[in-house]
Amino acid sequence: MSQKPKSRGRPSSQVEREPGGGGEEAPSTSRGPGGAASQRRAQASPAPGPRSQKQLELKVAELVQFLLIKDQRKIPIRRTDILRHVVGDYKDVLPELLRRAAERLEYVFGYRLVELEPRSNTYILVNTLEPVEEDAEVRGDQGTPTTGLLMIVLGLIFMKGNSIKETEVWDFLRRLGVHPTKKHLIFGDPKKLITEDFVRQRYLDYRRIPHTDPVDYELQWGPRTNLETSKMKVLKFVAKIHHQDPKDWPAHHCPCPNPFSCLLKSEAQPRARSLPGGKGWRWEEASCLFKFVVVPGRVCKLFFL
Amino acid sequence: MQGNTRRTGVMTDVHRRFLQLLMTHGVLEECDVKRLQKHCYKVHDCNATVEKLEDFINTINSVLESLYIEIKKGVTEDDGRPIYALVNLATTSVSKMASDFAENELDLFRKALELIIDSDTGFASSTNILNLVDQLKGKKMRKKEAEHVLQKFVQNKWLIEKEGEFTLHGRAILEMDQYIRETYPDAVKVCNICRSLLIQGQSCETCGIRMHLPCVAKYFQSSSEPHCPHCNDYWPHEVPEVFDPEKERETGMSRSNKRPSRSRQH
Repeated sequence: MSQKPKSRGRPSSQVEREPGGGGEEAPSTSRGPGGAASQRRAQASPAPGPRSQKQLELKVAELVQFLLIKDQRKIPIRRTDILRHVVGDYKDVLPELLRRAAERLEYVFGYRLVELEPRSNTYILVNTLEPVEEDAEVRGDQGTPTTGLLMIVLGLIFMKGNSIKETEVWDFLRRLGVHPTKKHLIFGDPKKLITEDFVRQRYLDYRRIPHTDPVDYELQWGPRTNLETSKMKVLKFVAKIHHQDPKDWPAHHCPCPNPFSCLLKSEAQPRARSLPGGKGWRWEEASCLFKFVVVPGRVCKLFFL
Repeated sequence: MQGNTRRTGVMTDVHRRFLQLLMTHGVLEECDVKRLQKHCYKVHDCNATVEKLEDFINTINSVLESLYIEIKKGVTEDDGRPIYALVNLATTSVSKMASDFAENELDLFRKALELIIDSDTGFASSTNILNLVDQLKGKKMRKKEAEHVLQKFVQNKWLIEKEGEFTLHGRAILEMDQYIRETYPDAVKVCNICRSLLIQGQSCETCGIRMHLPCVAKYFQSSSEPHCPHCNDYWPHEVPEVFDPEKERETGMSRSNKRPSRSRQH
């Protein structure tokens, strides 16, 4: 889509590089046709000339917006996507752009750009500010109830010693009225949420257990979970929904093999049967236990015409 | 443009939390912005005096400048309430990705926008908009679907609906001011008083100049017989009241209780 010429002060990324600043050919190559010289020229991309501060600044601004938008969807951002959609022929200064963008994100917004796993070349934004419960009253988006479901699953995983079978997850969730095959009023398709969406967002790891018949899968905490929350917080939430203080469960402060049973004990069951949203707790409450990047919402233009 | 022209302020966690939470709203009324500011102070810095909102926002804007984003202040066209929106100043292909809307939905908005700008009242009827669904770019859209899309725009505060007609929400006006002026230089209307973009307003029947309702309210506030500032002819429309946040709080009036807005006089 071609850009309309923008008035002063409205920079555009399609702006031609300043004269004399770009498109320097490889030295000593004539512009004439034929021969090794032009072949060489065709193979080697022209060394980019020096770019103005303003151009770099605009690129950083684009990169910041890109990262905010992408993280809003909670999909880890790949370096290749950054190259393709934003950086383009500023590829040579990508590390510098990333560094500056990360600095801006943290200084201005309080979001830290972190690599999901070492050498994975994918990134997420983590909030450096601690969410507080009162934030919920002044937010424009009312938290996400799906977080509550995620928290429960994370809690189950944790309680079970960091790994749980999918069948066991459903055994528990059924008591809360959440079924893998039934459409849920709040969550829609809980199976898809847990085994696909949360996995894609890297909150959970979902792996097939070999030699199981019928096939079973195991669920573990994903890399994003470790960056955005903590075992303590998960424990707090789980305790809250059972109206108990974490200190009542000393065993879980240092995770040990079989503490899961207490969650399934009869005491838990009557409460578990009460519908979420009833008195006691709401699914949305779990949101404040995650250091989510607050959904940026409508930072960017409605559309680009 | 940046750096040396404006001294950049210092961001603290108070500002950051404010910015984060502001971003969850597309647009926010001033009273809620103040509440948000107070909340952020409470979380981080209980004892500090809450800075004047204007200065507070200027600080944040000074650092947002290099990112081509700005917290813009505007006023609702129908009743003069101050509003704030975070707008993107740079138009790049990255912004395309920001959209929550599909290509055909955006095109529907574009069509509605054009009808609104071309209209005399600043409103486009649902019927007229829906009649254009065949001309949309992208995937084919049925009228029924288009109705839902229009409602989506209303929910997301890009459009306002009144009695089956649509106009631009204050947010859209803030966000798209520059774009509208550039794209529709001949059709665009401007307020005689504040010189800003005008979608809804009152107009002089003699000379045709237009004014925003809140601008009319302020301009004619203390005159018993309003006259057109341009041609001096008698101003035939009812002069609305100036928006008073204090009065609203006292009487506990909600927006829905207000008398119907007279925005469509012309």
